[in-house]
Amino acid sequence: MTAAAVARSAGTGRKRRPGAAGRRRRLAPYAFVLPFVAIFLAFSVYPLFYTARLSFTNWRGTGAAEWVGWDNYTYLLTSPAFWSSLGNSAVLWLLIIPVQLVLGVLVAVLLNSAKLKLRGLYRVAFIVPFVTPLVAVAQIWVVLFDQHYGAVNAVLGLVGLPDIGWLTTSAWAKPTLALLFLWKTTGFIVIILLSGLQSINGSIYEAAAIDGASKTRQLWSITVPLLRRTIMFAVVLQTLAVFQMFAEPFVVTQGGPYNSTTTAGYYLYNHITRADLGTGAANSFLLVVLVMILSLGFVRMLRAKD
Amino acid sequence: MTATVKPERRPRPRIGSHAFLMLLLAAFLAPVAWALASSFKPAGDIVSSPLAFDPGAFTLDNYRAMFQDVPIGQGFLNTGVVLVFKGAITMFFAPLAAYAFAKYRFAGRNLIFGAVLITLMLPTIVLIIPLLLEMKALGWVNTYQALILPGAVDAFAIFWMRQVISAVPDELMDAARVDGCGEFGIFWRVIVPVIRPGLAGLGVLTIMNIYNDFVWPVVVASNERMATLQVVLSTLAQNITGNRIGADYATVTGELLAASSVALIPLLVLFIVLQRHFINGILAGSVKG
Amino acid sequence: MLRHHLRRRTFGTAALAAAGGLGLTACGPSITSDESEGGGSDALQAPAADNPKGEITIWDRSGDLFEVFEGVIDDFNAVYPDIKVNHVAVDIDAKLQNTLITGTDVPDGVFLDDAKIGGYTDYLWNLGDVLKPYLGDIAQQKIDVNTVDGAIYGVPYDLNPGLLFYNAAALEAAGVDATAIATYDDLLEAARRYKAAVPEAGPVHLEQSAFLGQLQLEMYAGQLGTSIADADGELRIDSPEYRRILEFLDTVQAEGLGTRAEYLTPTDVAEMDNGNQVFYPWSIWFSFAPQQMLDATSGDWRAMELPAWEAGGARSGAMGGSSFVLPKDGANADLAWLFYEFLMFDEVGYTAVWGPNDTYPTGLNTSIPAYTPAADPAAPLFEPVEALGGQDLWAVATEAGAQIPGGTPTPAWWDGAVDYLGNDVQRMLDGDMTPEEVIASATEQIQTNLVDRQ
Repeated sequence: MTAAAVARSAGTGRKRRPGAAGRRRRLAPYAFVLPFVAIFLAFSVYPLFYTARLSFTNWRGTGAAEWVGWDNYTYLLTSPAFWSSLGNSAVLWLLIIPVQLVLGVLVAVLLNSAKLKLRGLYRVAFIVPFVTPLVAVAQIWVVLFDQHYGAVNAVLGLVGLPDIGWLTTSAWAKPTLALLFLWKTTGFIVIILLSGLQSINGSIYEAAAIDGASKTRQLWSITVPLLRRTIMFAVVLQTLAVFQMFAEPFVVTQGGPYNSTTTAGYYLYNHITRADLGTGAANSFLLVVLVMILSLGFVRMLRAKD
Repeated sequence: MTATVKPERRPRPRIGSHAFLMLLLAAFLAPVAWALASSFKPAGDIVSSPLAFDPGAFTLDNYRAMFQDVPIGQGFLNTGVVLVFKGAITMFFAPLAAYAFAKYRFAGRNLIFGAVLITLMLPTIVLIIPLLLEMKALGWVNTYQALILPGAVDAFAIFWMRQVISAVPDELMDAARVDGCGEFGIFWRVIVPVIRPGLAGLGVLTIMNIYNDFVWPVVVASNERMATLQVVLSTLAQNITGNRIGADYATVTGELLAASSVALIPLLVLFIVLQRHFINGILAGSVKG
Repeated sequence: MLRHHLRRRTFGTAALAAAGGLGLTACGPSITSDESEGGGSDALQAPAADNPKGEITIWDRSGDLFEVFEGVIDDFNAVYPDIKVNHVAVDIDAKLQNTLITGTDVPDGVFLDDAKIGGYTDYLWNLGDVLKPYLGDIAQQKIDVNTVDGAIYGVPYDLNPGLLFYNAAALEAAGVDATAIATYDDLLEAARRYKAAVPEAGPVHLEQSAFLGQLQLEMYAGQLGTSIADADGELRIDSPEYRRILEFLDTVQAEGLGTRAEYLTPTDVAEMDNGNQVFYPWSIWFSFAPQQMLDATSGDWRAMELPAWEAGGARSGAMGGSSFVLPKDGANADLAWLFYEFLMFDEVGYTAVWGPNDTYPTGLNTSIPAYTPAADPAAPLFEPVEALGGQDLWAVATEAGAQIPGGTPTPAWWDGAVDYLGNDVQRMLDGDMTPEEVIASATEQIQTNLVDRQ
């Protein structure tokens, strides 16, 4: 059975059977989800509703909360800063996702080969950035990307390129932040893609090799299509991550220069740290809606290709 | 079971792939190498001449100062406790619940799963204050359960495991039923072995996420006794993140790089050790099939 | 798989449930605060007992100051043996707001940036009564910055006078006499002359971080006795004072007399060490740069009072600074007051902080006390600074500190203003905005996005 067939059969409905076995089977899923649902209701759903109510108030953490209806939402939707934070995140998305997918697929495919020497070393190495504390990373980035005395410009200078104001100009700050994010999270994507690759049947490649398909061709016409669902999964996850990103701009650029790295997540974070909790809550729900629309868009793309 | 890889039949990658990986590896490790090397420089030099390395100036001062200033040992201990318990809860209950979502129809399935997706899309930071109020009501502030339970079995784990389990053919389950397996038996004896690559991945990501988490621990663990590694680091870093209004910028940078290096090592060792098990586990999954 | 996960029906039901949840008032804790605000006075009283007993939890930032304060606890216990001080280093910025809002594990005393106090006054004790005996002896700027609606919320810790740091060796080599600088016009003139001698120089530091740039702008404004908003929260940016300052900065920029760099980043440090950047108008805490970070020019730097805006005007303004606040939810805030009283107003206390100690063998020289009897130019607490060529920084700083005008409160939204005023100043320093445009744009944006939304 091929992986495609596996995919097709997934999620089909189950037929009922009579008797004790059938009853057990009907009740089993409730038992399986119960521990999760208990934790989920207590520590996710409850705060979620609380936040939803907050978004309609002007509560600043103290005193009585005043119900302000849709005011927080209309303030945000009419605020240029809100839209520019979304714009910044969108640009970052464009800078990050395509590069990350290409890199991630290539690395995952290479690492999936059992005959690759030092495979263990590579696998560990690619997740090192992910577990390096962000506060240290921020220090590293400032030193690497300093305009006049940084390591990156020193290297570029060797081949005759002029100094670039990586962190100091609004044109370059986003690419610099995107590099940081790529560096830090590509290992994460590699792991997800690797687990997807490992469920592709190796015999497909054998057949292709017999047919004389080149490596590149195999990658493009076998691996990528079979991996498409995992790739979409990764895209949705990284879309969430990019739009929620706040720690990276916070420690490296403080959202500057000129708010060019004030991402949607960092803008939201600012409301909260300034105790504007109602606006912060409203902002987060607007983000949920946006990310939801984007995700549905990706799913639609996937369906169109099916 | 055919839906797993048989990697031993794949041809050996060529020189080009090695060069590509090596180059990428260098780019990925260089910044960390810089941090590691700098942690052995005098604190003042890290900032004033960041790219120079003078072996003669090698010093352990940053480490000495860091161990004296912050309870990093306590941080390791707490992170370890959280890692074991939260990790175990996630690794067991997330696949179990995801199995139900993927393979059964039951009342409320779509409702619950929709809620999972919404929480996945909601930035964690807005939930902090409601959650903290809840912890206060429960009397859980500065306790291990406050560090462990919220976020155990998180939305991401459910989402991903459902994705992985959906790909398991129903025929396998039907065959197990014919053999007399109970519903949990199917999960334990059929699903779990088949999704081992996914579980291995989830294991790595869960460890990394718990290890890296600081937004919630910083808030709920105000007591030094409960501080996790990341809380310790954030305590150390506050003087230089952002505005650098602090008289001891250089000293703190040195201590921070030392602490980060120390923080990185156990995790690397863990991954290198686990690495063998992952590969073995993954191969075992395919052999069994 | 994905398409099953993201089925629209799933979202629909979840959204319905969310809407349902909103309607249920029983769901979620009451958003309105149930604490009785009216009960009792907000003014903290000192403990009446002769020999007060109890445990206090004190939050400080980690690092040097933590060590310094830690060293004072023994002295404190010599006077108050029954007060146990639980001194912890925490990430205050990340924790304090959540702790105060939820009232969980609230400490008795917290070290806090002056600029942040305005945002927390609802949770803090009014210290008007306990501070009364000392108010006459505390720098006016520190009192103003801690006062909101007539009540004072912080025990003033340090005074951070702005000073003009300059590279004396480089200036002398170029034949420029820095000590003759008395006004900002003189500074411009000196910078021009230095630039004529050293053409690649950008003599004056032009801050490139929006936050620090705004903090420095407030130092300049403080010299003129003004700040971003008055005690009633009315904006004051559209004023002759700010116009004068912005025009000065714009001139430095336009004539190429500045070095654009973020405070103590590699570029900034290198431009100082190579002699291109020789004037650094900054708070006293710049003094640790020559001590810790500068290499080639350490020892060449000196400090003097800031130039005046007009001849005879004040020669300093405050930049930064911190105080100690006492949250109302802290169990033993009255005992914490005793600790801070000892630390700041007892000679043993303040001598232990600023004088030579285990952490700083020559004393803590990055700020001076806000308590004027402690800040006597003739009675130095910290020793002359070697990295400033053995200069008596204490005398320079305390004399400058004594000139800092009052009347410069900090509004609760000060941090938020960086997005507008801080950024606009940066645009001006990049040559993209005029001073007039900065004033108009910042005033309007801050009014709509911050003042009107309080």
